Amino acid sequence: MQSARSMNEYHEQIRESLDNSFLREALDKFAVAYKANRLMIFADVNAKDLIQEIAQAKDEALPRIEELYAMFKAEAEKRGVHVHRAETAAGANEIICRIAKENNCKKIIKSKSMTAEEIHMNHALEGAGCEVAETDLGEWIIQLRHEGPTHMVMPAIHLSRVQVADTFSEETGTKQESDISKLVKVARRELRAKFAGADMGISGANFAIADTGTIGICTNEGNGRLTSTLPRVHVAIAGLDKLVPNIHDALRIIKVLPRNATAQAITTYVSWMTGAAEHSQNPDKRKIMHVVFVDNGRSALAKDAICASALRCVRCGACANVCPVYRLVGGHKMGYVYIGAIGLILTYFFHGRENARHLIQNCINCEACKDVCAAGIDLPAIIQEIRARLVEEEGTPITSSLLANVLENRKLFHTLLRFGKFAQRPITGGTPFIRHLPEIFLKGQGFRALPAVASSPFRDRWEKISKILPAVGKLRVGLFAGCAQDFVYPEQLEAAVKVLSAKGCRIDFPMEQSCCGLPVRMMGERKAAENTAIRNIRAFDPARFDYIVTLCASCASYMKNSYAEVLAASTMRTEAEQFATRVRDFSSFARDVLGLGDGDFVKSGEGVCYHAPCHLCRGLGVTGQPRDLIRAAAEYKESPEEDVCCGFGGTYSVKFPEISAQLLQKKLDNLESSGAEVLVTDCPGCVMQLRGGEEKRGNKLKVEHIAEFLSRRMK
Amino acid sequence: MATIDREAVEIFQKKAAPVTIKIVEAAGLAEAMAYALEVCEKKEICELMPLAADAAPQQSPTERTKVICAPNLTDKDYKEFENLGKDKGFTLLRKGMRGYLSGIDVAFTTADGAIAETATTILESMSEDVRLATMIAEVHVIALKKSQIKKTSYDVEDYLQKQMQKGTGYTAFISGPSRTADIERVLTLGVHGPLEVHIALLEG
Repeated sequence: MQSARSMNEYHEQIRESLDNSFLREALDKFAVAYKANRLMIFADVNAKDLIQEIAQAKDEALPRIEELYAMFKAEAEKRGVHVHRAETAAGANEIICRIAKENNCKKIIKSKSMTAEEIHMNHALEGAGCEVAETDLGEWIIQLRHEGPTHMVMPAIHLSRVQVADTFSEETGTKQESDISKLVKVARRELRAKFAGADMGISGANFAIADTGTIGICTNEGNGRLTSTLPRVHVAIAGLDKLVPNIHDALRIIKVLPRNATAQAITTYVSWMTGAAEHSQNPDKRKIMHVVFVDNGRSALAKDAICASALRCVRCGACANVCPVYRLVGGHKMGYVYIGAIGLILTYFFHGRENARHLIQNCINCEACKDVCAAGIDLPAIIQEIRARLVEEEGTPITSSLLANVLENRKLFHTLLRFGKFAQRPITGGTPFIRHLPEIFLKGQGFRALPAVASSPFRDRWEKISKILPAVGKLRVGLFAGCAQDFVYPEQLEAAVKVLSAKGCRIDFPMEQSCCGLPVRMMGERKAAENTAIRNIRAFDPARFDYIVTLCASCASYMKNSYAEVLAASTMRTEAEQFATRVRDFSSFARDVLGLGDGDFVKSGEGVCYHAPCHLCRGLGVTGQPRDLIRAAAEYKESPEEDVCCGFGGTYSVKFPEISAQLLQKKLDNLESSGAEVLVTDCPGCVMQLRGGEEKRGNKLKVEHIAEFLSRRMK
Repeated sequence: MATIDREAVEIFQKKAAPVTIKIVEAAGLAEAMAYALEVCEKKEICELMPLAADAAPQQSPTERTKVICAPNLTDKDYKEFENLGKDKGFTLLRKGMRGYLSGIDVAFTTADGAIAETATTILESMSEDVRLATMIAEVHVIALKKSQIKKTSYDVEDYLQKQMQKGTGYTAFISGPSRTADIERVLTLGVHGPLEVHIALLEG
């Protein structure tokens, strides 16, 4: 549970995690194994279609929540179940404590429920004089240690067998060995007694099926079955978002949930409870069964035009499993109660901005979560939206509003960038890197060399370049530079111009273009994001260009995927959509549109490894093209985890340098292990990060943008 | 005579191994019962869990007998089960599982359906004894007719819908022994329920 009250405190907490070598190793192993296992378990299923169907079904069900709730209540009550609804967390706890009191229950056993965690139910019950025992092994371990979960599905993933043995030794009063199978036996024995002695069982609910009043619970351990069978009272607690219209919806979610959570085809147990089942100890031979629905902001969220899709979440935890930041810092630093990308979001909606303020900043926007989400939630977009709301609610941090103002004003922004060329002279020592930047300016940036601003930006070179280009060509291409290449890496654009014009493109560079706007959008500066988008759309007259090509994966995916959304409320929406259809990244344009490949290059035996930029491989789904191009020009050397983020993330690397540095080191270790001499990627942000890192590590790899690499090898 | 979807049976068998379900073939229910009794015979006597902190020390294994239960057999089938098991020296049970929470050896049940793609057995568990027996036993032996196996979960949707519509019910999907990976992600069986699940596939 992330509890920092200031950004500095949050950085301190992150540092603690980064220094925890057991956690780091455990999460590293998990991240790698998970991806491989997930791929295998989805082999016989069409994941994409299923996820699409789940998303659609959830979107259709959300506006019907009241109707579904009424239906569930009527059907369940017909079958002897008491159905409650609480508007708030406190209200839910009140109901549950009352049920315990009315039925004279003191000893409570629990199977896993994130909703119970959300409302801090155990605390309330203990306050009411009840004894609560978790029976999910992981939950029990962390309960004994008075910790919160670090993963929604594997709550004790941060602990070693030795730590568990110590905890169990303390609990049982007997020294326990750190042998895992023996520790599991200890749990079986200790918890069996608790099951036998309990008078109330509390479970969560994966599904509340409206048309039959059925509760569905998935567990691997079977503790859900025991919890709902042994005690005379059973309370199932469910968020309103767990309501589904019928069994088909539940069966469909089960096809994805366990596969995504733990790479299992299905959880060992799925229990479908329709009405109060038999219980031999009650006078009427039936279980006393209650279902408590928790709203806690859900029905309001269901009406939120932009963020409602967060309620599609089925709690598989996959967004944490693939998150490169989670992998480094673990769940205690990457969530409040809910963990991972969805945790960042739900913390804001369920636990308030006080608890979300710092957390919500800790997303590098690599889109790995969006790529695996069981319900197709665009998690990074919602995170950005929440940042924007925080800015609106709380005002803007000075640095952020300064940058927003500057980026909105192209001339001012570009003047400042030009000025940088002179200002940096004393610190570059004449090299393309900033050498002696005083620490005060960029705290914690020492892990990579930062590039110097180029002697002249691309926009100043354009007039000269354009004169020697052919005036005719079969395709009219507008070049979108993006800030990094215009002012820092103009040579990458020059290389691209060489490649494109050689293949018959007529290129122009509209001078009015400016920053794509992604940095301000990431900071939640809504107005500045709109204005930069409008400026760029106006700069590229649709009558003049067949394609708008950019060498920056982040600019490309942002302009293509988000401009229409950023301008949704504006009169420019249609233009934004037209603009988006013309935007192409350099690699897929070169490969698919221009047909670049074998025969265009002097193929060499040079070993080339590849880093897949987040916004190219996931943002745009471009994966094969850059690798095909490399293969056509040199020898492609594969390396592990090519599609994991390099740690740049734009302003993220400035906000969280300690995390960015770790991501970069891991990335370079992986790339260097390929034995290649050259590292190619297709985003200037990644080039900046990777080249800066290699400069610090002694340049084992020569880092190039794919345009530079291809132009070097062109026939 | 119910038809058998041979392809579904094959998928079921293939998917059972990765989730540590042991499959044996049996000509009929009697053979499946005999198999369950044999499993009981061969296994070590079950470990008893103390049910209270101040519980008396366990009886030594020599002072007690193995327990096998069959909570969902018809009267006629249970008679046959008793007959087959009568000379084994086991305690044979059909109900009253609450009296055995500290542990039993084997639970023998007949399945109510199956899903091939996930090696899932469907077990109607409205009866408290069925629920308890299949959780407390160290080994769960399930008799499943091949004709009961459907390919996907959508193929059992109508069945489930009918069960749920008709009133009160408790339907269980069981796909292997009770498992956890909560300590260092190491897969460990039998955390709360059975350590082993065996399926006797019946022709027919």
